Parts: sequence; C-alpha cells; structure tokens
Amino acid sequence: MKSPRRVRWVEWALLAAALAIPPINWFWMRMDPAGAHDFVGPLRQVLIYAVLALGLNIVTGFTGLLHLGMAAFMAVGAYAYGILTCEIYPFQLSFWPALGASALIGTVAGLLLGAPTMALRGDYLAIVTLGFGEIVQDVLKNLDDITQGTQGINPLPGPVVPGYAFNSQNAMPWYYLYLGILVLVVVGCRNLEWSRPGRAWLAIRVDELAARCMGIPVVRQKMLAFAAGAALAAIAGAMMASMLTSTGEPANYDFQVSILALCIVIVGGMGSITGVLVGAVAMIGFANVLLPMLAGQLQARGLVSQANVFGNPNNWKYLIFGLVLVLMMRFRPQGLLPRAGAARAAGKSP
Amino acid sequence: MSALLSVQGLRARYGAVEALREVSLEVRAGEIVTLIGANGAGKSTTLMCLSRVKSIAAGEITFEGRSLNEVPAHRVVGLGLAQVPEGRRIFPRLTVFENLEMGAYLRRDRDGVAKDRAHVYDLFPVLRERSRQAGGTLSGGEQQMLAIGRALMSRPRLLMMDEPSMGIAPILVARIFDAVKRLKNEGMTILLVEQNARAALRLADRGYVIETGRIVLSDRAPALLENPRVQEAYLGE
Ligand SMILES: Nc1ncnc2c1ncn2[C@@H]1O[C@H](COP(=O)(O)OP(=O)(O)O)[C@@H](O)[C@H]1O
Ligand SMILES: [Mg+2]
Repeated sequence: MKSPRRVRWVEWALLAAALAIPPINWFWMRMDPAGAHDFVGPLRQVLIYAVLALGLNIVTGFTGLLHLGMAAFMAVGAYAYGILTCEIYPFQLSFWPALGASALIGTVAGLLLGAPTMALRGDYLAIVTLGFGEIVQDVLKNLDDITQGTQGINPLPGPVVPGYAFNSQNAMPWYYLYLGILVLVVVGCRNLEWSRPGRAWLAIRVDELAARCMGIPVVRQKMLAFAAGAALAAIAGAMMASMLTSTGEPANYDFQVSILALCIVIVGGMGSITGVLVGAVAMIGFANVLLPMLAGQLQARGLVSQANVFGNPNNWKYLIFGLVLVLMMRFRPQGLLPRAGAARAAGKSP
Repeated sequence: MSALLSVQGLRARYGAVEALREVSLEVRAGEIVTLIGANGAGKSTTLMCLSRVKSIAAGEITFEGRSLNEVPAHRVVGLGLAQVPEGRRIFPRLTVFENLEMGAYLRRDRDGVAKDRAHVYDLFPVLRERSRQAGGTLSGGEQQMLAIGRALMSRPRLLMMDEPSMGIAPILVARIFDAVKRLKNEGMTILLVEQNARAALRLADRGYVIETGRIVLSDRAPALLENPRVQEAYLGE
C-alpha cells in the first residue's frame, strides 16, 4: 500500500527544492559576489543529519526503542572511513568501498551492542546506549596509536566518480552526490517500513506482548532495527568524515549529536520518514545554514560587531532549539508531519 | 485419545510472588476445556506460561507430544499454539485487514492466508464489513472478534482465549461464544479462560478450577455446574 498523498506531495516538493537550490545559489553568487552567501556547502550537513536521523527513526520511530547514543555509531562510521582511506594506514580504499565497509562495520557494532542489551526494556536501553556513546568517545581518544587521539584522522579523500575529481572548493558536486545517497536511503527506509521486519517493528512498538503472541521474534527484530539504525549512522559518519577530509576529534561525536538526531525525529514526527526529512531541514537548516548566514549578513552590513556575543545569532541557537522543543511538546507533540492515521504497514491488498 | 496439550506441575513466579504453585491440566484434541477462577487466581499467567512468554519455575509442558519447556515464545505460535490475550490487545491504528495480516506474520503461504481470512470473515461477518476501518474504532465486542480472528490467522491447532467476555455487552458475548462453538464443530481445540464461569461451563466439555495458583477441581463441565463448591464460589447460587 502507499503512503498518503499529502506525504508524497511533501516529499516531491522537498526533492524539487533540493535540486533547485544549487543553481539558484550559484546565480545569486554571480549577481552579487560580495554580498552573496554560499549555502550549498553547509546544506550538505542537512543531508548528512537526515541520513543519521532516518537511522534513528528506524530504532526509535519504527520500533519504539529510545536510543541516546546514535553519535557513537556515527563515530564508528567516520573512524572506519578514516582508517580505511587515510594514506597513513595500509588499506587506502577509495570512497565507495570505504563507505560500504563503514556501513558494514557500523552494522557489526550495532549487533555487538544489541546482542546483550536488546532484552532490556525501556529506560535501561536508553541508559546503555547513552553510556555506549560516552565510552566510544573515550576509546577513540585513548586509542591514539590507531585513532590519532584528539587530532582526528586526516587527510581523508573525497568521493570519486568517473571523470570528475571532488575538491573542497566546489561544494555543489558533493551536495548532489550526498543528495543522491539520501534519496537511496529514503527509498530503502520506505521499503523497510512496509517489509516483514517493518511490520514486526510496528507491532513491537505498539504492543510488545501482542507481538509476542503473534509469534514475532521480538529480540531478534529489535536487534535488526538496532543494526539497521547503526548502519545508517555509520554511513552518515563516513559522509561527514569525507566532507570534512577528517574524522575530526572524538568529541565531535558527543551526546549533543545524539540528542540533535533525536530532536529531528521528534520535531519531524516519530516514525514518519517525510517528517524526519522536514525535521532535518528545519533543525539543521536553521542551525547550520540560516543562522550563520544571518550572522554573516549582519556583520557584512556592519549591524553588529564580531565582539558582541549577544549580537551573533549563532549564540542563540540552543536557546531557540529549546524554545521550539518546549512549544512543540506543548502544541504539537506528534511532530510536524506525523505518521499517517491508520498506518498502512501490514502489507499489500488481498 | 491422547492429550494435545498436557501440563504437569507447572509453577511460575513474579519475583517473590508465587503466581502458580501447582497447575496440571490436559486438553485433548477437539475439546473445549475451560479454566475458571477468580481474579488473580493465575489464569492469565498459566496461558502466558503455555505461550512461553512467561518463564516457568518448574513443571513440564507438552504439546503434541513434544516438550515446550525449551521452546522460545516466537516458535510456539509456529508449532500451532495461539493465544488471544486478555484485554484483546489489537493494534488500534491498523485496519481490521492489517490486524489479521499481523496474525499471519509467520506464514508465507499467501493462498492459505487468504483462505483463512475468508474463514474469519465468515465467522464474524462484521469484520468483513469493517475490514478497511481502524481496529481502534470498533466496539469492544468487535475488537474481541478481531483478536480471535487475528489468532486464528496463524492457523493454530490449539486456540487459547483469555477472558473473551470481559467488558463486553451480553449480546456480543453470546455471539462470540457461538463462534467458539462453531470453531469446535469444525474441529478446533480450545482452552478457554473465563471468570464468567456459568457461560464457560455451559460451553465447555471439561473444566478446571484454579485458586491462588493451584488447580483445586477438575471434572466434566456439566458436573462442575452441579458441584456445590463451584456453585457457591463461582455461580453465585
Ligand atoms: N506482571 C506481574 N508482576 C507481578 N505480579 C503479577 C504480574 N502479573 C500477575 N501477577 C500476580 O500473579 C497472580 C496471578 O495473576 P493472573 O495470572 O493475572 O491472574 P488471573 O488472570 O487469574 O486474574 C496475581 O496475584 C497477580 O497479582
Ligand atoms: Mg487474567
């Protein structure tokens, strides 16, 4: 069965806007080279966080498991990509094989953490994932023989496609490539949602006891969700590392990143793929694109000085996030685009 | 006839609380057996143990000659033992059709599933009428029908029902019990848990009485209806 028309419409509109933005931005920069702002580069972060949040959406949105350590799996992906590609290590894979291997390593990490913890319920699982998030950072920091400690692993290669070499100066090709990856991830998530595991996840989320009475292997299906989420987080991590040409330091993958992913899912609408996309655009677009742009414009026009910490919109970011979350919880707890009423999760028509 | 299900010396606990102390019972193929008892006596716990959703402290569960003691919950349904849990527990935001599909989760024979769905619709025509409606919008009685239908979708050989009459209008209870009778006539074996002892005993072939985790009486159902002890404690006479 299909998702409701409204959702389809939003998704196509998002894709159309995403495709149209780079030429528009390019045109703006041509017309007004001094005043224009490049937002295609920062927008790549929206795409990466969308992948991360779609991963969390499988775990928390579809299956109902509160996961507070997604950043750890993002770090696993980023460092896997770093170690597999960086010239100081023996592997030196190129982008695509390394991306695939990162996803695989993320999956394995997910299964390793999932196996002993999936029998835990509710709050316990949240605490374990939170602890895992902290431990991974510490391990990456202290295993500096392998991970370069707080230096991060660099330089890392960008993507490769036949006939074109990606470089950090030109963000547009990255943007389209990452958009392509995101589209594939969305299609994958849609198929998962209507698949047998998707039905099992829904049953587990709504009523675990009823799911058991249906013969659904609850622990195994939870692990599958957990592993799928970890795989997407790892892909997001590899995308991030490739874009920054560095894994960055371990603290880049801290609790705040996990919470940001959770906020995207909550703001967008738990379990709603389109909602998560809207949530990523709203939250990351606001924080990483709009606010810096506003700050740049204010400074360029001499309205506020760099020294004035209150005048810099970036410094208001978390206050605004907090306010938005409180307002959302008060007035629209189901998220911007909640999952459709009677979810069409139980497969095709007769 | 040998027993389809046999339970010997079953014990189960919730932490320090001993919920089942000594439950032994037998269900033979083609029978309706009822387990009656007051609130908190251990009826639901018994069914959850049989479904292997609840861990057991001691005892032996045998279904079709094979021990279920080491069988995980998700295998039990596949072996032919299905439960309609207490309180219905349908998926309220899924349609009636989708709820039934959920019951067939383990099955891959599409034709067989379609046939069983048609059978459920025959048993409860209202479900066919409401097939595109969200389960949560049905009345309590209709939801109970849906829960029974959902369990039937796994094509069980033994159907266990936990208080199907709870909180349901009498007219619908009668319809549900009629359906149970019809299932029996079609060859289904049924273990029916009820607080509504009179209705259950009228329907059943045999019955067991459970008190504080112990089976204290067992007999043919008509005999239990005549039993002074049962009459006093469960039939309000
Ligand atoms: N999840 C649980 N945790 C602790 N005690 C429970 C739980 N479920 C049932 N019990 C206890 O086990 C006993 C049997 O309960 P139950 O099987 O639900 O009885 P019945 O279905 O006959 O009403 C009761 O004393 C009840 O309080
Ligand atoms: Mg009960």
